[in-house]
Order: sequence, then structure tokens, then C-alpha cells
Amino acid sequence: MNSIIDALDKGIEMAGIARKRISVPSDIPFDPDAVKTLGVDYFQIPRGRAIAFGTGLKLGNPDLKVIPVAGDLMTLGGNHFVHGSRRNMELLVICVNNFVYKNIGGKPAPFTQAVFSPYSTFEEPFNFPHLGNSCGAVYTARWTALHAEELAASIAEALNKRGLSMIEVLAPGPNYYRSIDGIESELLQFYFNNSVVKNNEDPRNVAITPDEKIAVGKFTDKERPTFIDSYNVQHSKMLGDKFTPHGSPPKVEKLGGKNG
Amino acid sequence: MKADKAGVLTGSHVLNGNQACAEGALAAGCRFLGLYPIVPSIEVSERFLARAPEVGATFIQMEDEISALAAVLGASWTGKKSMTVTSGPGLSLMMEHLGLGIMLETPCVIADIQSVGPGLGLPTHAAQGDMMQARWGSHGDYEIVALAPSSPQEMFDFTIKAFNFSERYRIPVAIMSDAYVAQLEETVVIPPADQINIETRRYYEGAKDSYLPFKRDKDFVPPMVDIGQGYRFHVTGLTHDDRGYPIMFEECQEYNVHPLMWKVRNAVDKIVEVQETNTDDAEVVVISYGATSRAVLKAIKQARESGIKAGGLKLVTVWPFPEKRVTELAKKAKAIVVPEMNFGQIVLEVERNGYGEANIFFLPHGDKGAEYSEDILAAIKRASQTSEAKSGIIEIS
Repeated sequence: MNSIIDALDKGIEMAGIARKRISVPSDIPFDPDAVKTLGVDYFQIPRGRAIAFGTGLKLGNPDLKVIPVAGDLMTLGGNHFVHGSRRNMELLVICVNNFVYKNIGGKPAPFTQAVFSPYSTFEEPFNFPHLGNSCGAVYTARWTALHAEELAASIAEALNKRGLSMIEVLAPGPNYYRSIDGIESELLQFYFNNSVVKNNEDPRNVAITPDEKIAVGKFTDKERPTFIDSYNVQHSKMLGDKFTPHGSPPKVEKLGGKNG
Repeated sequence: MKADKAGVLTGSHVLNGNQACAEGALAAGCRFLGLYPIVPSIEVSERFLARAPEVGATFIQMEDEISALAAVLGASWTGKKSMTVTSGPGLSLMMEHLGLGIMLETPCVIADIQSVGPGLGLPTHAAQGDMMQARWGSHGDYEIVALAPSSPQEMFDFTIKAFNFSERYRIPVAIMSDAYVAQLEETVVIPPADQINIETRRYYEGAKDSYLPFKRDKDFVPPMVDIGQGYRFHVTGLTHDDRGYPIMFEECQEYNVHPLMWKVRNAVDKIVEVQETNTDDAEVVVISYGATSRAVLKAIKQARESGIKAGGLKLVTVWPFPEKRVTELAKKAKAIVVPEMNFGQIVLEVERNGYGEANIFFLPHGDKGAEYSEDILAAIKRASQTSEAKSGIIEIS
């Protein structure tokens, strides 16, 4: 997981955004001390709800940059991703995918080994870039945790997009899997070795299947009005001067406020 | 502190309960509404949405009630007073984030316009069937504050109270209304802003580097900060220490969660509120709340006219329950009558606190709300005639 913290650290730096403006609601528990080094505000909340919680953060204070981190293949909370993409809520969703469900390239992922699932598994995972793209996300990408530089660059690029961005990160996830010797590093390397960079590939073609190499890269990069844009346009149209547009374009630094 | 003029529609208005709830929220300074629409709560959001632009409030219709309350909790951490509104089926979905709100000690208000359950029930009919769910519905141990308004005026007043409690104690507060009160139209008097008392969030004032998100004050309530201000904090819904770091030991459960009870239990005398009618010499006390208490007033009057010493205790705060007062009344009175729009919820609390001192009669009734005085009167008469002490609850069918 620290590879994701590192990538966030680099990505935020490259994006040139003040760290106090960033909040990370996550349904994955990171090492708190590692989170502290990021210098952001961090919430660990129930599984699947990071996007919903983050929507409230963003609307409550539109100056924030909100990075919801979602795990468990978005089974819990998948609907929040669908609707967040539809609204084009300004969030950078980091989807940490650890393949609880799937064999990769014929090799069982650790989560389908006998210790976890005696008969392996037969379900297909989501094609997240395709799902996000078709629901209206303005940016989709996928990297493995070992694509450190590409991932950081993607995070930086997505942080400056207006709308919902989604970056899928292939990484072994929860801390307790670490107790099984060697799994994390071995699997990271496995994902990396079995991936092929296909920037700008049609998201329909990037599903992860057992027989093909995993497509990584940036798949969607488009413009659409954000939720707050549309909110302001609609209310200005209906109410004229009575309406004060909500959430002025992000400032570089928020000064003052009751917390100084 | 006094209310912000921007949200206060001072004057006398004819409003239904739902509209009055929205006005109460705006007057209290609520500036974020996250909701998923559900009958019979619609006018709360309609009214809020119509008035939001002029007071600078934000709203969003989320994809379900789970996300509605999640967004409300998020918005609250940005410093905005936040609320959601729902009915029974929605409240069921909100239980996950009610628990998170308790654990993250996040001020927010949940207005529950109760309709008939379980399951899909009778969505347009009034009920008081969610009273225990509000208290016990989320997993784990917690205390909650819940208010039960019985008129549009109280919908306005109690909504302000709800925000004040939530900010004061950093907890989710429930307004347990029902379809009857919500749809009832009456005159609501909204006072000038400078006559409305507002409880403000207590903010941490020390150095940013030494901020601990869950370091408690004397009254067990930790001062708060807004996000995005450079405090760089870590908070978690897991059992945590003062830093907001997860600590997976039983000792920390005691350290973290027990004070969540104390901060409400120790303040019970400041929170609990009841309204009493003729209880001084009452032989039969009717304990009620919400719409039902309207009918009780009429029934008490009629009982007195027919020579029965009847009195009424109306619960303003249902949770925490006014335990001490109910015990006192049970010792003094011969019988207690509890009418509810359900098949027996708050009567269990009355029985628990009555300690077998008085006969307890339970009158379940449907959604007739305030038009139920005749049955309540009959129950009072029967209660007054039962001389032998009986244990348990005597249900009147």
C-alpha cells in the first residue's frame, strides 16, 4: 500500500496543489504514519462509501481536492461510482484492485489460493475504465503499483482535471495478507510483468481476462461540465441575480477562515 | 450566539410540518442538505431547495439514503451544518452512517418522517414505528438524541434544538416526526433572528501541529476543526485513540467508545425535556409523544370533566428517555397509559422505568394521530378503574 502513498505524494507534488486543500476519504486502511507524511486530511470510512462521503466534502467546500480511495472491486459502493461519474462530481477516485475474484494469466492471485478460496473463483471483475468512461468520467487510467512514475504522473494529470477521474491501481491490498510471506512483492512483480502499456486504447477493449496481458495506460481524457458547473448554470438560469454561484473556481491557496 | 438573519423567515406563516422543518433547519444555520426523496418527507426538501439559493445553502439528491447520509457527514466536516431527511425505509439504509457519525463524532441532523412499516408498509400513513430503530438500529453501543415534534410549530422549534444538540455534543440527532404532523398545516411563528439561540460548534484553538482530533474536553466532547485548513488529520471509523489512529485492542474500545455514552449520559439533565399537564395530582398519567400527544390533551380535559384525575407527560426528547421523571410519576400515580402509533415501543421504556409501581396500559393505534382522543379517554377510564396491581404491560385492544 505504501506504493500508493508514494505515488500520491509524487502526484500531488507534480500537480502543484497545496496539501491542506486535499482530503482523502478511504475505505482502505493505510498506515496512519504513512498518511501523515502526505500532509492531507484523511478519513477512514466504511467499505464502499468513499465516493459518497467525498461528494459531501467537495460540495461542502468546493475549494478542496478530494481523492476517494475505493477497494474491494467496488462491490460495495459501485453505485456511488456509477452516479459520481454520471454527475461528473469533481473527485479523483483511486480504485485499488487486488483481484479477490480472479485468476490472472493462469496464475492464481493469492486471494484465490486455497487459504482463501479452496476452489478458486469463476467471476469476472469489472472493466473499471469502461464502466467509468461510459458513465461519464472525464479521465480513466490503469496502472500497476510498480508503474510508480506513470501512476504519479497520472495522479498529477487527473488532479487537474475538472470532473470525476478514475485511476485503477493493481495492487495487493489489505494489510493482513502481508502475513503470508512474499505474496505482496511477488504479486506486484507479477502484475507488472504481465501488463502492456496501451495509452488511448478504447476502454471497451481493456477488460482484464485470464488469457491476455493486462492493458495499462490512460484510456479516457475528455471534458464535460462538472456537477457544480451544471448546478450553477441551471440555478443562474432559473433564478438570475438571486443565485450566487456555488463554489468559485479553485483558488491556489485558501486563506483565512475560522481555522486560520 | 444568535441565528444568522439570512436563513430566518421572521413572521407568521401557514406551513405544514415538513415545510416548518425546512425553515427550522435554515434558521438554525443548516447549509447542506443531502437526501434521497421519499414519501412522506418530500416537502422538507422542496422547501429547502426553493429557499437554498437565497441563503447560500447547497443540496444534492444522492443515489440512495446510504450515500445521502455519507455526504451529509462529509459536508459537516467542512464546517457546514448539514442534514438529511427521510422516512422508515430510508432510515434503515442510513443505519450504517449513523454509526459512522457516532464514531467520527460528526454533528448532523436526520429528520425521519415516520410512515408505516415494516418492509414497504404504508408509505403515506403516519406511524411511530422507528422509535427504537433510532435508538438501537446501528450496530455497537451508542447514545443518541431524538426529538418528537407534535405540530408544525414544534417541527420548526425542535429542528433548531436538534442542530443545537448535534453541534454541542458532536452527535447525529434525530427528529422523529411522522406523516401526520408532517402534512398538518398550521400557523408557525418564526421569531426574529436575534431571538433564536444557536449553539455553535466548538473549535480547537491550539497549534496546528498539536491538534488531536479526539482529545476530549471535560465534558467528553472533543473540539473540532474544519477540513482543508492545514490540520492534516487522520480520523477513522475504527476504534481509535486521541490521534484518530486505529488501535485494535479492547482497552482502546473502553477508552474510545465509553466516553461516547458519557458525553450524552452525563448531560441528560441538560438534554431531556418533557411537557407536563396536570401531573401534580394525577392518578392516571398518559405518557405520549409526537402526533399522539395532541389527542392526549383533549382526552385529559375530558377525563377531568368526568371526575378522573388525569394528567399527561409529553416527551419532547424521546432519547435520552426521561427515566427519572417517569419513575417519579409511576410511584405517585395509580396507572400509566401509553398510546403509540405502533405495536409497543416506548411503552417498553415506560415499563422499564416504572419498576412495577403503577399499572401500565398500552394503547396501540393506527395513523389517526390527533383524532384519537376518544380511545385514549376510554383507556384513561379503564386505567382509573383497575385497582389491583398487575405486572407487565396491559394492552388495550
